[in-house]
Amino acid sequence: MYEFEYVRPKSVADAASVLAANSDARLMSGGMTLLPTMKQRLAQASHLVHVGMLGELQQIAREGDTLVIGSAATHDAVATSTVVRTAIPALAKLAGGIGDPQVRYLGTLGGSIANNDPAADYPAAILGLGATVVTDRREIAADTWFQGLFTTALDEGEIVVRVHFPVPKRAGYSKIKHPATGYAMSGVLVVDTGAGIRVAATGGGNGVFRWAEAETALTKSMSASTLDGLTLDLAHFSEDIHATREYRAQLCRVMAARAVDQLLG
Amino acid sequence: MQLRPGSRSIVRVSDNPGPADQRPSPPMPDHAHAPHAPFHRKEDRRLVTGHGLFTADRKFDGELHAVFLRSDRAHANIVSLDLEAARSMPGVHGVFTAEDGKRAGMTQVLHMLTLKGSDGQTPRIPPRGAFADARVRFVGEPIAMVVAESVLAGLDALEAIQIEYEDLPHVIDAERALAPGAPQLHECAPDNMAWVAEAGDSAAVDAALAAAATVVRLRVDSTRIIPNPMEPRTCAATYDATRDHYHVYSVTQGVNMMKRQIAVAAGVREDQVTVHAQDVGGSFGNRSAQYPEHCAVMLAAKALGRPIRWIGTRSECLASDYHGRSNLIEGQLAVDGDGRFTAIRLDWIADMGAFLTAAGTSSHTRNPVVLLTGVYKIAALHGRWRVAFTNTSPIAAYRGAGRPDVNYVIERLVDEAAAKLGLDPADLRRRNLIGAGEFPYKTPTGSVYEATDVPGSLEKAVKLADWDGFKARRAEARARGKLRGIGMASFIENTGAGVYPKDQVDIEVDAQGRVHAYSVAHSQGQGHETTFTQVIAEAMGVDTARVFLHEGVPDRTLIGNHTGGSRSLVGAGSVCKLAGLKLIEVAKSAAAAQFDTEPSQVEYHAGTLTDRASGKSTTLAELAQRAEGLRTQAEASIGSTFPTGCHIAEVEIDMQTGFTEVLSYVAVDDCGFAVNHTIVEGQVHGGILQGFGQVFGEKAIYDEQTGQLMTGSFMDYAMPRAGDVRHVTIEENCVPSKINSLGAKGVGESGCTGSISALANAMADAMRPLGGPPMDMPFTPSRVWHAIGASANAH
Repeated sequence: MYEFEYVRPKSVADAASVLAANSDARLMSGGMTLLPTMKQRLAQASHLVHVGMLGELQQIAREGDTLVIGSAATHDAVATSTVVRTAIPALAKLAGGIGDPQVRYLGTLGGSIANNDPAADYPAAILGLGATVVTDRREIAADTWFQGLFTTALDEGEIVVRVHFPVPKRAGYSKIKHPATGYAMSGVLVVDTGAGIRVAATGGGNGVFRWAEAETALTKSMSASTLDGLTLDLAHFSEDIHATREYRAQLCRVMAARAVDQLLG
Repeated sequence: MQLRPGSRSIVRVSDNPGPADQRPSPPMPDHAHAPHAPFHRKEDRRLVTGHGLFTADRKFDGELHAVFLRSDRAHANIVSLDLEAARSMPGVHGVFTAEDGKRAGMTQVLHMLTLKGSDGQTPRIPPRGAFADARVRFVGEPIAMVVAESVLAGLDALEAIQIEYEDLPHVIDAERALAPGAPQLHECAPDNMAWVAEAGDSAAVDAALAAAATVVRLRVDSTRIIPNPMEPRTCAATYDATRDHYHVYSVTQGVNMMKRQIAVAAGVREDQVTVHAQDVGGSFGNRSAQYPEHCAVMLAAKALGRPIRWIGTRSECLASDYHGRSNLIEGQLAVDGDGRFTAIRLDWIADMGAFLTAAGTSSHTRNPVVLLTGVYKIAALHGRWRVAFTNTSPIAAYRGAGRPDVNYVIERLVDEAAAKLGLDPADLRRRNLIGAGEFPYKTPTGSVYEATDVPGSLEKAVKLADWDGFKARRAEARARGKLRGIGMASFIENTGAGVYPKDQVDIEVDAQGRVHAYSVAHSQGQGHETTFTQVIAEAMGVDTARVFLHEGVPDRTLIGNHTGGSRSLVGAGSVCKLAGLKLIEVAKSAAAAQFDTEPSQVEYHAGTLTDRASGKSTTLAELAQRAEGLRTQAEASIGSTFPTGCHIAEVEIDMQTGFTEVLSYVAVDDCGFAVNHTIVEGQVHGGILQGFGQVFGEKAIYDEQTGQLMTGSFMDYAMPRAGDVRHVTIEENCVPSKINSLGAKGVGESGCTGSISALANAMADAMRPLGGPPMDMPFTPSRVWHAIGASANAH
């Protein structure tokens, strides 16, 4: 680590003003990615502005057909919330499968989506459920939120406050864990919004994406076998010492089929 | 408590037993209810409540912190190294490099090669000092050390060091390293060959291969592993100028062995070094070795007159801890028309990385020679070992130290032979196993196996695993789209004979009547405080709570071996029994003097000594309160024991994802007399999981193009997890050893030795119906899925 100043803001507005006054300040929610990166001296901050404990960011509530979750809600809070389990069981399951118990007690929704790790689970939830990210400045739609690896539509100094998830008719999430990291080697969320089908896939390596061919096919017939032989662009997948591109695409197909089975219950 | 030899059964069942129809019902572990039997280990309360004393827990007045600049190149000349800016950074007390090390006489490391090279060749041992000298040979090699007021100040200074490299071509693959035209690592070792060794009768094997009805050939890679003990590698040093003496604090497997290695590497006499260690968090052979960092902190402690501490980061440990295994082995097995083995030939390339370590070469050559025939009666054996240098982290002993590797190739050959001959692998083994009545068994390469019962273990394992019912389970799995396989491995190991000629134990009674024993063997998780005190308590008829074990106490001048090679219960543990018995005799003499009688007239029972004639009695505590105290020393010279076993693994592969689940695992072991079944179970279970790690994904990977370590963090190095093997049945089939007073055989490594072969055979069995060529480990999901696809396409 390099030296930094730890700041505990009293409000989102307070945090925003620290960020505005210090161009090298970094926002920290759970710190599950930022702190290890800083320990390795791969990231540096003049100030660490810790918003994870702010009460105004912890909300979990259903408002009509929308599930509202504060950006500092931990994965554990989402996974165990009766409100979430009732409204979108697949989302509770997704949150409950992130990392290990230690990570789930500290890691947060806002931290995860702002980081946009291509192997994280939450990006699939944002994109698959067609959520809206609410910041301290504006609302950003899911389809414009993700802008490439570790990059989002967030501006400098902008803070994620909460996420609005439209409650779908039904959804299913299936994931296979990376043997080394426990992150998603592939995670696919299949959502029947009531108005249409959305299929979001994470873990491929090149960022979360919607599988358009699967959405079209599942709109016609919601069954796992519908996915057999569908085109899946290999450009979504990366290759490394753990897995080939073709293998990652295969996992995506299998996870999509298993997500459909779960959606169908 | 009563110590009982013989067979027993312990079954671990998870909360999710899976398909229940194929598992035996678990008997309760009855020792949990036996009087005095410590189900929980004696040291655990201290360790799990944060009261351990690990090397990093030690603080020193006036201490300074060391951090290392390490090579980020696989192979390069150091053109320039500018330390001036770093030296002037705030909080920096010194920067040290190869020049400082050489001036201090740090130029070589200890080697323990016990096998003669071919044609009398002696190994080519490259010099190695505290730092890379003008040239770096692997990523992670230390180049310079900054000593500063804090780790942070040191890290800042590291960034101010200016280094210029001239890259050299590198070679990370041992087979390529030996090929003509390969980049050369050391002037003293042409062709990157450290040495060549041979064993056995080559002509006899040639003849047997020519006459064989069937010859099976297989090439296997026992992959490069990063041992990863839980406690990172750490050391500290202080220097006493008045005595010209170093105190070195270090992770270790035994202070004597460490002291000897450090003295050689530091260019000082052994009596100038005291090594201190209490708790050590895992080792797996890796912590027996001396490292350049020991010399570096000693150098700075002397130069600066301050205590110097270094705590390795996990990244540093992954890159620069000595790695394990990395043996490429070509095997041939000759079988006659009756399914009897007539010859084995093994041709090894043993990758040693960039430098030789004390035990690496010896482990991967001597142990396989001892075990070249496996557990089988084979008339003709021949092996050749070519030991190669590569631009990778050096190789040292790792749990099993060559024994899992030789077992892996032999047991894979046996299963491939069974498949080729259309025989049940269990039946093929039955035809060839050394019978229980044929011991002691002298092998063609000169080993003498002590008594054991491998056929008995096989029959027990076959029954526990329901081997004969497997066909139906395979068919049922296939109907669910799964590939199910079963694999067996029989094995034998030679436990470590030790480097020192004997093991001594001091024993004494304190004024409260508590018994204290002192040993050189050093627990790194093995639970010596539980087992050694249990042995003494049993020998003396006192409560284990009144017996205390002290390991690695620096002021003791005991002769004894480090803990490694599955030897400590066999060695120091059995001497604990002798010490307890001897102490009783010493106490009888002392009591006799007090009673004014002969020692033969004194009766000892549970800490009380009674004069038969007068009925007067005294206690150990009272005797200890006299001026001369109550103490003695016991010793014994103990060589190798030969634990054996038969393990059976059953696996199921998800054809869609290539992921494998281990459905059941049966381990039947002959560990001789088992002092503590809980400890045995823990050793076997841990070894199985470590074998699982290697078979299914642990592998140190260097990029061929860049020479960079691709598995430099736990984000890429796939450690096994506790839940990976859940359904383990452990049974003992014990034949007590005759070479030590306990009758114990080593059990520290057998889990690893058995599981690598059993799991790999199970995977080969699962995939064999697809008709493709046999796949080698690691069985990662991606590789398995591709292998399934390739086999399907080929048919």
